[in-house]
Amino acid sequence: MSEAQKKIPRPLPRVNAYMNTKPFWDAAKEGKLVIQYCKDTGKPQFFPRPVSLATGKRNLEWRQVSGRGKVYSWTTTYSAWPGHEDRVPYICALVELDEGVRMLVNLLNCNSEEVKIDMPVKLCWEKLSEDINYPAFEPVR
Amino acid sequence: MGKRKDIAVIGYGETKVTLRGGRSSYDLAGEVLEQVLNQTGIDKAKIDGLSIAETMSETANPFWGVYMCEHLGLSPTWMQVNGLGGASGIGGIARAAAAIRDGLCETVLVLASDAQSSYKPTEQGAHRHEFQYPVGLRGPVGAFGLLTQRYRHQYKLKDEALAKLAVTQRNHALMNPNACDKLRVPLTAEEYLKSKYVSEPLRMLDSVMVCDGANAVLVTSTENAKKLGAKKMIHPIGYGEITNFKGTDPLADITESGFTVAGPKALAQAGMTPGDIRMIHPYDDFLIAILLTFEHIGFCGRGQGSDFVLDTDLSYKGTLPLNTSGGQISAGQPGLAGGGLNLVEAVRQMFGDAGERQVSDPRNAMVTGIGVIPYGRNWGVSTVLILEQA
Repeated sequence: MSEAQKKIPRPLPRVNAYMNTKPFWDAAKEGKLVIQYCKDTGKPQFFPRPVSLATGKRNLEWRQVSGRGKVYSWTTTYSAWPGHEDRVPYICALVELDEGVRMLVNLLNCNSEEVKIDMPVKLCWEKLSEDINYPAFEPVR
Repeated sequence: MGKRKDIAVIGYGETKVTLRGGRSSYDLAGEVLEQVLNQTGIDKAKIDGLSIAETMSETANPFWGVYMCEHLGLSPTWMQVNGLGGASGIGGIARAAAAIRDGLCETVLVLASDAQSSYKPTEQGAHRHEFQYPVGLRGPVGAFGLLTQRYRHQYKLKDEALAKLAVTQRNHALMNPNACDKLRVPLTAEEYLKSKYVSEPLRMLDSVMVCDGANAVLVTSTENAKKLGAKKMIHPIGYGEITNFKGTDPLADITESGFTVAGPKALAQAGMTPGDIRMIHPYDDFLIAILLTFEHIGFCGRGQGSDFVLDTDLSYKGTLPLNTSGGQISAGQPGLAGGGLNLVEAVRQMFGDAGERQVSDPRNAMVTGIGVIPYGRNWGVSTVLILEQA
């Protein structure tokens, strides 16, 4: 399907829509993946929350992570979410970062036959707009 | 809850499930209210409580519950909108029971009505705009694709067990005139196995079809039920619920659900073990959810769900009848009223009203609810209700 045939374009993130996520997107623009850490317990969390999931307090900070991880699970999408029609089939995965959180991401630069659970993957970026670098993962080869 | 049987379900109503029927949630609810009144012979003025499920089609209106009272001519002294997703139906019974015991009201209509296939759905927003929509996960279908893939990695998932669930429920839907017409056609195991992948390894026939419909049960104290001259009654005797199961564990097992908490709690209240359950009406948004329900509530061990399904007669004539109205997968899912579909069938069976699909000796039933798909984890709400005859 061509871009013109799609009803809507691929959705872009709405930055700061539910809380201050700007630090995440600012870092992404520089090719750095940052996630929240609870400063009291040292525990990481993703997606960004208004409080530490461990303590309920707002003593949080953003820290850059390695961008290394492994596939926890994955699914090959044939019936697209609106705006993704021209990407079919595409792979959505839960990637477990070495730091101990999971992210919902696309797996790029591989096909369904290659993907295995526990397969090592590394961070890569999709440039979705002038301002948005979107995190994705690809196999470590 | 417990064995005291001080709360009673004395009536039920249900519309036919339709695909893009075009009628609103208010209109569908009106049909259900009339059914309940006709069935029980109770005056509408006696209904002084409303426990109503949120919807996909109407809850963008924050006054949905009050509007419903206005449309139905109800003036309750207690009203609650239940936001447990598909688990709202049986969660609504538990809340009604608590309100009745606290003297806030006497007779509660536990109502669910949703025209999801005919109206634009409510936006769920929050983090999804940033961390889900740009990835393109196909909603619940995508989430259950992830869950199924991981389950296959950790345990043995037998396709023939999923096929048996699909065919068993379809056979039940063929006997249910309220099931969606589009789904009231015979299904074979081969057709299930050949069904196309929507989010591999999840097939189209693993999934519900979103429809429109409404259902309700009438709940009161057992004492008041007798005063009202209720013709039939059954009793909730066990209930368990948990929201955001393992919500602080970033590495929680995606294949493990809150039924591991809600199931044992409901059984303990009822003084039962899984072997005591006569029939089960589990929430079935996807076939694998039924398998997990059996495992997590303790009908079989973890990872043994496929063998349990293959070894058990789940038909309405069997040892553990399953979703005898077809479940949501074969009757259609009337949006967030879907959880009430399985609930109403349990009540109908226990009242002896199930016609050609009537279960013999319907002395008790387990009904479950599942609600909401969170980010990267198992489902968000798990509810388990056990009903017993007087």
